[in-house]
Amino acid sequence: MSTEKLALTTNSSARKPASAGGASNALAADLTRALGPRKVLSNLSERLNYRYDAIQFGATPLAVVLPESTEDVVVAVRAARAAGVPIVGRGAASGLSGGAAPLEPGLVISFTRMTRLTIHPERREATAQAGVVTLAVTEAARPHGLIYPPDPASFRTSTIGGNLAENAGGPMCFKYGVSGDYVRALEFVDAAGEVHRLTRDVFDLAGLLIGSEGTLGLITEATLRLIPPPRFTRTLMAHFPEVGACAEAVSRAIAAGAVPSKLEFMDRACTNAVEDYLHLGLPRDAEAVLLVDTDGEDLDTVQDELRLVEDACVASGGTVRRAATDEEGAQLWRARRSVSPALGRIRPQRMNEDIVVPRSALPDVVREIRALGDASPLRLVQFGHIGDGNLHPNILFDPRTEDAHAVHDLAHRIALVAIRHGGVLSGEHGIGSMKRDFMTDAVDPGTMQALRGVKRALDPSGALNPGKILPAEGVDG
Amino acid sequence: MNNDIPVQALGGQGEVMAHAVDACVHCGFCLPACPTYALLGDEMDSPRGRIVLMKEVLEGGLPLADAAPHLDRCLGCQACVTACPSGVPYGELITAFRGWSEPQRQRSALDRSKRWAILKALPAPRLFSVAARVGQFAKPLAPVLPAALRGPLDLLPESVPAMQPSAKVTPARGMQRGRVAFLVGCAQQALAPNFNAATLRVLARNGIEVVIPDGQGCCGAAALHTGARDEALKLVRANLNAFNPDDFDAILSNAAGCGAGLKEYPMVLHGEPDETRAKAFAAKVMDISEYLNTLLQNGELEPPVPASRPLTVAYHDACHLAHAQGVRAAPRALLRHIPGVSVLEVPEGDLCCGSAGTYNLEQPDLAGQLGARKAKNILSTTPDLIASGNIGCHTQIQSHVRRQGSPTPVLHTIEILDRAYRGEL
Ligand SMILES: Cc1cc2nc3c(=O)[nH]c(=O)nc-3n(C[C@H](O)[C@H](O)[C@H](O)COP(=O)(O)OP(=O)(O)OC[C@H]3O[C@@H](n4cnc5c(N)ncnc54)[C@H](O)[C@@H]3O)c2cc1C
Ligand code: SF4
Ligand code: SF4
Repeated sequence: MSTEKLALTTNSSARKPASAGGASNALAADLTRALGPRKVLSNLSERLNYRYDAIQFGATPLAVVLPESTEDVVVAVRAARAAGVPIVGRGAASGLSGGAAPLEPGLVISFTRMTRLTIHPERREATAQAGVVTLAVTEAARPHGLIYPPDPASFRTSTIGGNLAENAGGPMCFKYGVSGDYVRALEFVDAAGEVHRLTRDVFDLAGLLIGSEGTLGLITEATLRLIPPPRFTRTLMAHFPEVGACAEAVSRAIAAGAVPSKLEFMDRACTNAVEDYLHLGLPRDAEAVLLVDTDGEDLDTVQDELRLVEDACVASGGTVRRAATDEEGAQLWRARRSVSPALGRIRPQRMNEDIVVPRSALPDVVREIRALGDASPLRLVQFGHIGDGNLHPNILFDPRTEDAHAVHDLAHRIALVAIRHGGVLSGEHGIGSMKRDFMTDAVDPGTMQALRGVKRALDPSGALNPGKILPAEGVDG
Repeated sequence: MNNDIPVQALGGQGEVMAHAVDACVHCGFCLPACPTYALLGDEMDSPRGRIVLMKEVLEGGLPLADAAPHLDRCLGCQACVTACPSGVPYGELITAFRGWSEPQRQRSALDRSKRWAILKALPAPRLFSVAARVGQFAKPLAPVLPAALRGPLDLLPESVPAMQPSAKVTPARGMQRGRVAFLVGCAQQALAPNFNAATLRVLARNGIEVVIPDGQGCCGAAALHTGARDEALKLVRANLNAFNPDDFDAILSNAAGCGAGLKEYPMVLHGEPDETRAKAFAAKVMDISEYLNTLLQNGELEPPVPASRPLTVAYHDACHLAHAQGVRAAPRALLRHIPGVSVLEVPEGDLCCGSAGTYNLEQPDLAGQLGARKAKNILSTTPDLIASGNIGCHTQIQSHVRRQGSPTPVLHTIEILDRAYRGEL
């Protein structure tokens, strides 16, 4: 990420919509004629609200469409194509890599009103339109004795379309896998406005769309796999006087054969930010807190597994507390899900990393990152799905008083720690525009050419979410 | 969220607003909590969207008139505040913004007279009582009236009870445990005089002397939240003069909206000479349920007479109690304390009932949709009684529950406790 792009997150430069003029009016007028006024937003007050996600502000769109059906999406895509403007898909805009924030003025298609959801218990499947809120799938499936496991911390807000576009993970993904693992079929609209229905046999084209961040097509509907919930779940919290010890406990537990369903970590600053919000009595003085669930069909096995984790924590110098009731367990998980936004209490803005490293390297990596933070005047915090080796080091800053160069520099050094230990740049939040420029560090030129080839095949004119994932042509030489 | 809000030019309220905008990290966690987002599904009618709109207007990048329709749809229910992990004081932002922007609004003549009538009638119980009676005569005309006037008529109860002035001092019964000041409220005196009567009886029964200080008036919340800041400031100052916090253990309200209003005084006077007085005052303000619950927790609450048969009570969380004041456990604890009573949780319990101050007048359509949804959710629990701690919710819920054909009684939490003490439950 360049410093200009950091400046962009402070939004002023890209904010003012130079034009409510010619083309935009024509586009909005065309769309309104075709779709009716309810589904098209063209006022400035409306368009201003479709230029950001949870990390970044971008350019104000020329028009916004709120489709209610796949046909509406087709109409919108064709209108944008005729007007020659780019198209950005948007779910709940809870993304953390700038994906839904347009880099140039164009059309935003916001899926929040495409919320049709059908459960097919006999097939253990759900059919969900793109705008269905993630948690709603499990809520609808539960009466049938089924759940939808992918559970990003944003699951009360984020949409199935956004989750699939980012291939979102969550605490459950250590044992149960990420969003993409639950897709049986996808319906999408391509850059030309054609509708396609993909299954996962023959070529796994659905897999190609998953994680493509709206750059290859617009997902309109998905058929999702459901599973019966585990009969028993047990939760424990352990806290440690040092961050590396927490990572050691994780490696120990897994080496001992435990396969917990969730293994999450947060450092002291995170715990305190959440405690300020929820007042649960979390250990404010601990340098690291580990949250663990074990689950399964047989209570004895679940308890045994919890004991393995408990022993590993104690052996690494941790203090363990088991959740006495389901409610207490639920509270602890609510605490974990609130970490990311609760950090807003410390500084108004943050640079959010999403690295993944081999589990064996975890203790060294969290210690090295902690040391980078301690040596910097900036506030650095860490949390993440530590069971997967997925860490979210966050640099918290106030752009009015803190130097954007220093933020960028620290972010870069953290990325290098990950790469040095054999890790990658994004576990689940996507590349978007935030991490686009790091792509050349992580992907070799030949692979980059292949990625560009795929993009050209599906989106020859580059209309779909331009400026995301792939660095500008020529940068990769 | 970064912003260039010209704080200097806006004064104390500018600081309040800029602080709230700063704190928002635009994560969207608040979206599913917002009733208007649930109904409309667009970003402008969500908390995050409204924060952006207010920021843009304050920065001068967006005309107020463009943002106004979306800001007007905000119920001020503060469900977003409960949902926000970043601690954004959205309630303070919208209140301060409405105060700042109202003088710049262009409103139609009908709109203006409606607002004027409300602001005059609400703080004056007698006038309100008269208006409510006039309204009752107008009820048969409802079908031919403009929608804007139909909403409030729908809400009037079948009969408007006679006013019952309360004694200035209600002595404690038995050993005196405490001494409190009580804000009698305005509209509530006219619409539901029994709320206050029950409150005084229950407090006296528990050994609490209750004083109703002279010179008190409307809490000012309605004026404040509709943007009539000057009007509100007059009311706030009158109450600061009427209540001396040093004289009482607590200053009590039994209307969630008023209690929340009283607790807001320091924010209203932020940066002004009276701020310190306002803080001392607000520190003593408690909802009646909070106060009684402290007695309960200390083992000092008189035991109620057991209900004559097992009773289920669907408890409705008033937004101004649950979200604005964070009071959820206390009323439930009081109800559960009555032997034979069990408390039911309402599905979508956090979603506003749509009454929210003057919302029925300003946004009758959305208010009606939310009222119907709330009534349906409450009735789905098939309760024997419905309880809430706020006059606005009370009338709204009663009206929609009746409309859905149910005779289930809707009571104030304190009325249920009072009935229990009197052996009438
Ligand atoms: C507090 C918080 C916690 C989070 N926790 C997690 C977590 O634990 N795990 C995790 O993986 N992520 C997490 N996220 C990130 C974010 O919630 C996920 O990336 C989520 O999947 C985004 O969904 P959305 O509906 O908000 O999509 P948006 O942010 O609206 O969009 C994300 C991307 O998808 C594209 N897109 C959206 N809809 C479509 C569509 N229908 N078709 C094609 N492209 C589309 C957009 O163009 C954009 O590139 C978190 C975010 C927040 C704010
Ligand atoms: S939850 Fe809080 S921080 Fe997040 S968008 Fe809403 S108000 Fe802003
Ligand atoms: S106060 Fe209520 S209606 Fe207004 S933005 Fe917040 S949640 Fe929505």
